[in-house]
Amino acid sequence: MPKDSLKTRLEIAKKKYLNKNSEKNAQSSSKLGLAFKMSTELVAAVLVGTIIGFILDNWFGTKPWLILIFFFVGVAAGIYNVVKSAKNMQK
Amino acid sequence: MYQFNVNRIGPEIKLGEIDISFTNASLFMVISSVAILIIFNLGSKKNSLIPNKIQLLAELSYSFVSKMISDTAGSKAKPYFAFIFSLFMFVLFCNMFGMIPYSFTVTSHIIVTFVLAAFIFVGVTIIGFIKHGFGYLKLFVPSGVPMILLPLIVVIEIISYLSRPISLSVRLFANMMAGHTMMKVFGGFVVSLGIIGGWLPLSFSVALTGLEILVAFLQAYVFAILTCIYLNDALNLHH
Repeated sequence: MPKDSLKTRLEIAKKKYLNKNSEKNAQSSSKLGLAFKMSTELVAAVLVGTIIGFILDNWFGTKPWLILIFFFVGVAAGIYNVVKSAKNMQK
Repeated sequence: MYQFNVNRIGPEIKLGEIDISFTNASLFMVISSVAILIIFNLGSKKNSLIPNKIQLLAELSYSFVSKMISDTAGSKAKPYFAFIFSLFMFVLFCNMFGMIPYSFTVTSHIIVTFVLAAFIFVGVTIIGFIKHGFGYLKLFVPSGVPMILLPLIVVIEIISYLSRPISLSVRLFANMMAGHTMMKVFGGFVVSLGIIGGWLPLSFSVALTGLEILVAFLQAYVFAILTCIYLNDALNLHH
């Protein structure tokens, strides 16, 4: 049947097209996107940690201590974020 | 930096204490939304088998976003296609309209990008709690951690979760603002160095314009793909 053969040929072509497309996509733009993601991730976590420390300090009146602690916890969270997304990239 | 100024257009409108008058920022948001509406209405009006240019544009962007969602968030994220598609298109058009000389770049203001990111953050958190109930809190407790370290790890996880909207908004805003500032600086060099030395910064300016168009697209793409990744975390909980 010519109709069937056209259908199967279409299916094969579609699959090929999809495969080729996804490989190309994963190589270029998505990788570049992840690289952009890494850079701000570190800064944002430090910022959030410091802000949380500042707010808690104002609540409990323990002026310099919680902001110091949460600054370093924020740094740890930032590094943790970067490591996590680097691990995701290698999958 | 005249290009980042927000000016009022038309009369001043006040809602209580809040100033809600129409500004050039709102004008460019309206322009990009209207442009999106026009393009996609024209593109989907007649579904010919052989598409004309505008239909091709609409279909290409549809399949691009649809593939992006299915690649990163899986088939469960299909119901959220409309949201992610309009988000991607809005950010892309705002960035691209900002590339026109004398126009205003909406996304170069942190409050605009932060509202978008905060909306995504709240929405994703609500979706996570609806889908998993209180089991969503397991996101903060990774498996295989010793009991002594657990309080510290939970605090770190919460900070890393809260940093998502900040990093999402700051990335878009910083990239757009830095790019436009850099173009302005190089343009200023052309003027101050005059006809003899001005050619080098002029060529840099041309190259930067190309780079900025790439960044404008890429940042819209990154914004959308990170929304997909966060959505994926909320839909498919795995640790």
